[in-house]
Amino acid sequence: MSLEDIPHTADVKFRVRADTLNALFSEIFGALMQVIYGKDRRGDLVKEAHIESSDIESLLADFLSEVLFISEVEGLVFSHAEITIKGLKLTAVLHGELFDRARHSEGTEVKGISYSDLSVSRDTNGYMLDIIFDV
Amino acid sequence: MIDGVKRIGANDWEVPIGFVPGMRVPGRFFLSEALGRILEPGAVQQLANVATMPGIVRYSLAMPDIHWGYGFPIGGVAAFSLDEGVISPGGVGFDINCGVRLLSTPLTQTDVRGRKDLFDELFRSVPAGVGAKSKTSVTARSLDGMMIRGAHWAVEEGYGVSHDLIRCEEKGYMKAADSSEVSAKAKQRGIPQGGTLGSGNHFLEIQIVQEIYDPEAAAAFGITAGQVCCMVHCGSRGLGHQVCTDHLKILEGATKKYHISLPDRQLACAPITSKEGKSYFGAMAASANYAWANRQMITHTVRQVLSKMFSIPYEDMPLIYDVAHNVAKFEEHTIDGRRMNVCVHRKGATRAFGPGSPDLPPDVLSIGQPVIIPGSMGTSSFVLKGTAGAMEKTFGSTCHGAGRLMSRSQAKKRLIGREVAGNLLKEGIIVRAPSENAIADEAPGVYKPIDEVVNVVHEVGISQLVARLSPVGVIKG
Repeated sequence: MSLEDIPHTADVKFRVRADTLNALFSEIFGALMQVIYGKDRRGDLVKEAHIESSDIESLLADFLSEVLFISEVEGLVFSHAEITIKGLKLTAVLHGELFDRARHSEGTEVKGISYSDLSVSRDTNGYMLDIIFDV
Repeated sequence: MIDGVKRIGANDWEVPIGFVPGMRVPGRFFLSEALGRILEPGAVQQLANVATMPGIVRYSLAMPDIHWGYGFPIGGVAAFSLDEGVISPGGVGFDINCGVRLLSTPLTQTDVRGRKDLFDELFRSVPAGVGAKSKTSVTARSLDGMMIRGAHWAVEEGYGVSHDLIRCEEKGYMKAADSSEVSAKAKQRGIPQGGTLGSGNHFLEIQIVQEIYDPEAAAAFGITAGQVCCMVHCGSRGLGHQVCTDHLKILEGATKKYHISLPDRQLACAPITSKEGKSYFGAMAASANYAWANRQMITHTVRQVLSKMFSIPYEDMPLIYDVAHNVAKFEEHTIDGRRMNVCVHRKGATRAFGPGSPDLPPDVLSIGQPVIIPGSMGTSSFVLKGTAGAMEKTFGSTCHGAGRLMSRSQAKKRLIGREVAGNLLKEGIIVRAPSENAIADEAPGVYKPIDEVVNVVHEVGISQLVARLSPVGVIKG
């Protein structure tokens, strides 16, 4: 599995590679949380999310957008997630804690998940995604 | 210069039809030779992509702060005819009505230089950064007020004076706002964030007017040499971000429904007159109003701090002007000799209406619209005036800032926030931010040289320099 930070002038762009789709989505979920809140994130609380979409890229964008929403309105910082994708349905068990200004102020807000250059693909080596976060 | 781009003037470039398949109009951008050397091919590609959108009028434009964004380039301007054209959230951005305002004060440099206590107090008073919550309790009713009447609501609630509305684009609110098109989720995000600064490139800066280039315009705007001003740069916060997210999804479906073929999903759009198009515009205007209310609330906090610290009356700190950078507007422009209503999208671009234009404050009508251009951290900011040239060339638009050069990941690798802050302090500039990363991300070196960018708009004639301001200290989100 790998997570690559690709230089993008205005925003934050990632390329992720993983063996499974579930691992791919988990990895970018963690990257999103790190961009916003930094590295020091614990997972004592649990929250579930269920998303259904029309295609795999939309599933990814919709899932991460929902995470942005939950995180902001509930004041939750997530450390990791267990993700299960069946077809175009996603279930996520999100592990996190309440926002702590002292430990969670290293990052920057993500305004949205861009559809530009958004792709989820598969080849013989596994899965790959490209994504841009608007900061 | 990038292959395929043609030079058509000293600072004027054309991206011909055919640069990407399906272009309906050429692309046009304004750049000096020096800035041309750092132009990203991706930005030109995005400019060309916008030119493929239905109903686009004359050119797909970009200002000299052009850089690679997503969908539209940052610095992009595009106008669409009402009957055949589309409206696109990608042409506005997630941060609807990210914009900037400039407040003047009767203070001078000696009053504020080195005043760490001033910046400590501002940092304490204006919520900024990730997770920051409003200090005021905004009810559902207040939120509705913010979305429908923007800065007008804020002034009615005691966050300002009526003169603030005269000196604000749209007089503080867009009348077409429709809060019923704003989702419950977006409203939920908007309630706790009234009067907050946000993060990233949002800031509150105390500046000194260093140089006056146009004494007549400066006097009309209310700017004098040596004066202390406060610049506030922020947008519609989580409410706007959610509105964009929600409507992008709806418009993705609409793009298919109306058989619109696009080179980039982020250009998702719908015909202006369609149900989906009207719904987005109503929600966008509501978000824009929220941003104006937000900037007005922050203005009030700044006035309170300065008033208390320096014993100056609240009324002695008038607003110079407030402009939006990310917004779509219905405007009337002269195109090929006739008056035409169009939907102008400005994404990282500022309105710069010339003398005699509608929506200008009466006391600057003969001068042109004040244009506020924030510099990057530690560098100058500028006030310009809108021109007839802008009306003719760019649908009354100009640049919005310096434009980035370096990505945030590169910035963090090459720069250390503590060192950047230390260097700025040596120049007498105080920086307060929630983290060191916030400082490294926004260091002066990561942006194009602002002087070069404003010189281009001045040379091209789409706005004219009025004054230069230099920073004394900044609060960063």
